[in-house]
Amino acid sequence: MELYNTALSLQEKLEILSDAAKYDVACTSSGVDRRGKKGSLGNSCAAGICHSFAGDGRCISLLKILQSNDCIYNCKYCLSRSDNDCRRATFTPEEICTLVIEFYKRNYIEGLFLSSAVYKNPIHTMELIYQTLSLLRNKYHFNGYIHVKAIPHAPDELLEQIGYLADRMSINLELPTAEGLSALAPQKTRSSILTPMRRMQQRISGYRLAIGKSATMERHQGNKYLAHSIFTDAVYIGDASAHTNSCNSAASPLDVYGHPDRPFAPAGQSTQMIIGATGETDFEILSTTQALYQNFDLKRVFYSAYIPLNEDAMLPAIGTPPPLLREHRLYQADWLLRYYGFHASELLTPDRPNFNLALDPKCDWALRHLEQFPVEVARADYSMLMRVPGIGTKSALRILKARRLGPLSFDSIRKMGVVLKRAQYFITCNGKMHIPIRLDENFITRQLTATDARKNYMIAGSDGIYEQLSLF
Amino acid sequence: MTIYTCENTFEAMMTCIYDAWASKEGHQNIRLKAEPVGDMELFCEYRPIHPDAEKAKKVIRSIQRKLSSTAYLMVYRCAMSEHPDKLDRIYRFLLLGFAYPDKITDMLQHPYVSAVFELSRNVMNESHIFREIVRFQALPDGVLVAHIEPKANILTLLYPCFDDRMPSENWIIIDDTRSIAAIHPADQDTYLTALTADELERLKHTEDMTDPFIDMWKSFFHHIEITERKNPSCQRTHLPLWYRKHMTEFLD
Repeated sequence: MELYNTALSLQEKLEILSDAAKYDVACTSSGVDRRGKKGSLGNSCAAGICHSFAGDGRCISLLKILQSNDCIYNCKYCLSRSDNDCRRATFTPEEICTLVIEFYKRNYIEGLFLSSAVYKNPIHTMELIYQTLSLLRNKYHFNGYIHVKAIPHAPDELLEQIGYLADRMSINLELPTAEGLSALAPQKTRSSILTPMRRMQQRISGYRLAIGKSATMERHQGNKYLAHSIFTDAVYIGDASAHTNSCNSAASPLDVYGHPDRPFAPAGQSTQMIIGATGETDFEILSTTQALYQNFDLKRVFYSAYIPLNEDAMLPAIGTPPPLLREHRLYQADWLLRYYGFHASELLTPDRPNFNLALDPKCDWALRHLEQFPVEVARADYSMLMRVPGIGTKSALRILKARRLGPLSFDSIRKMGVVLKRAQYFITCNGKMHIPIRLDENFITRQLTATDARKNYMIAGSDGIYEQLSLF
Repeated sequence: MTIYTCENTFEAMMTCIYDAWASKEGHQNIRLKAEPVGDMELFCEYRPIHPDAEKAKKVIRSIQRKLSSTAYLMVYRCAMSEHPDKLDRIYRFLLLGFAYPDKITDMLQHPYVSAVFELSRNVMNESHIFREIVRFQALPDGVLVAHIEPKANILTLLYPCFDDRMPSENWIIIDDTRSIAAIHPADQDTYLTALTADELERLKHTEDMTDPFIDMWKSFFHHIEITERKNPSCQRTHLPLWYRKHMTEFLD
């Protein structure tokens, strides 16, 4: 196998290993602000920079590659599983460093996204990853963004060393329930995923406390104006004192955490779930998401629509279209949890466990709670303004600042960024509605969905709700 | 109606504001316009203003002190756009601003404020987009050269991002339409310069040079796409065709 590897050129390895990495959707360069330094290459912008967009519409901000796709595991959904017959390759650490530095200089990428198949064994794989990151940071003085994926069964000491070199660490949950995971990826047990996640969370918050920050990650600043977001109810598990059990209590926290000049994974943790491979409902997925934010303090949860690559009795057939609309609704709901102060139980319930495909979750909630509308923009508070479809974080803050200085009108709030096409059914301005309407659920639903009749026909057609009448 | 005109540079525009204000003709009787003037109106007197560094400094200082630095940034970004009415909008905004100095940037319901806010937002969005889509070419001696063709004059808003990102590299960003360039020698400050026609001609050829990393980037770009999710119209929403002119992955 070694001979096979050395015969491949750098470009061929890049093609194989980026092809294998593309199903990992977590690819933002966000979460940490870091200024550049003379003698180093790179900086980091908390908003995240999208350098390009691929042909499937997804953003490209990092060099997304695997260290190796030569896997000893055999997860049923994966293209690189050991049973599959595909080209295998492994990067050397120097090769990855060359690619990152040269791409970064040309402004193609913001940094590196490094994942890997389990090559030989988890310890060997993590050591290779550690060598790559260490070379990149110390020899090549790379100061840009690094997002590294931990392998299930990864040893604790290596995770700790790697955390001081990376900006974001993550480990894929793959499937929301333990049953799903054991059916499709038996070599990855749920504890082999959750234990490293817990350890990383404890280290991240321990480091933050050691340098005087809050224990939990920063969230969008609008959340402090929301009385009842998922973060106010967050259960903080894993006090830093749990760490110091094994350490000398007289030692300062920075001594415990070593590396006082490098932060531990400052952009936090994230994870990814596959949607559509097993039969979980949207309610189960969204509740898992909320629990991950509250209990593990994850920064982001990503969803990947399942694309059938392998023939298997337990998986959807090859050729099944990926559930893209469902994935889109889940992302919309994820945003509602993190920015708009919603809870999973408000959006879905066990008797209505899946999202409405014709309407986004926010409009759907508003139509089921019409007793709370219309909202008067001159008087409503931030949390109620945020619940209006068509008003987002920026427009709500602009409305709040502007309304103290003069009367608002529909035209002026439209210029501030409110989408009147949707919001006009739910707000009043100086006591008047924009157009005379009845606050009736069916009427507003028809108005909201009528504008895109063709799209609705396609959505309905894909679900089989409407069928061609057979007259003969 | 007197119309004060000036060149399309920031210093000239600030001088124009100073002279229009100092002329004491009455704010309703004057209008300001940056060049190109386009079709001239009948019954209007056109007065060209020449840039004066002292007057421009006075205007900038009084905006920064009496209004706020946020208001100054809004004015600067609005001035960098290519809208024909930008200078008049800035003038009306400043008139209102000196009446309500601390509230002016929040009074977005007022038509004068929202007019300037709209242009300033467009310019900031465009500068953020170019920060993402600028592509450098590595010359054999290690100098990195990039060409951009923006709609607004964003070069001064763009180069500080790269100052911070690559402080120890030699790089140049060239605005092809305006023939200006931002030049950064390694570990030194960036400076702006106007390019002559044959300098621009010589530098245009950098985009024809080949490089193994360009091919690797193009192949990465194609392989990272999931074919089952192919969606060119989604890609076009994020990357309109006019952005792609100087982006390596879309050239030939």
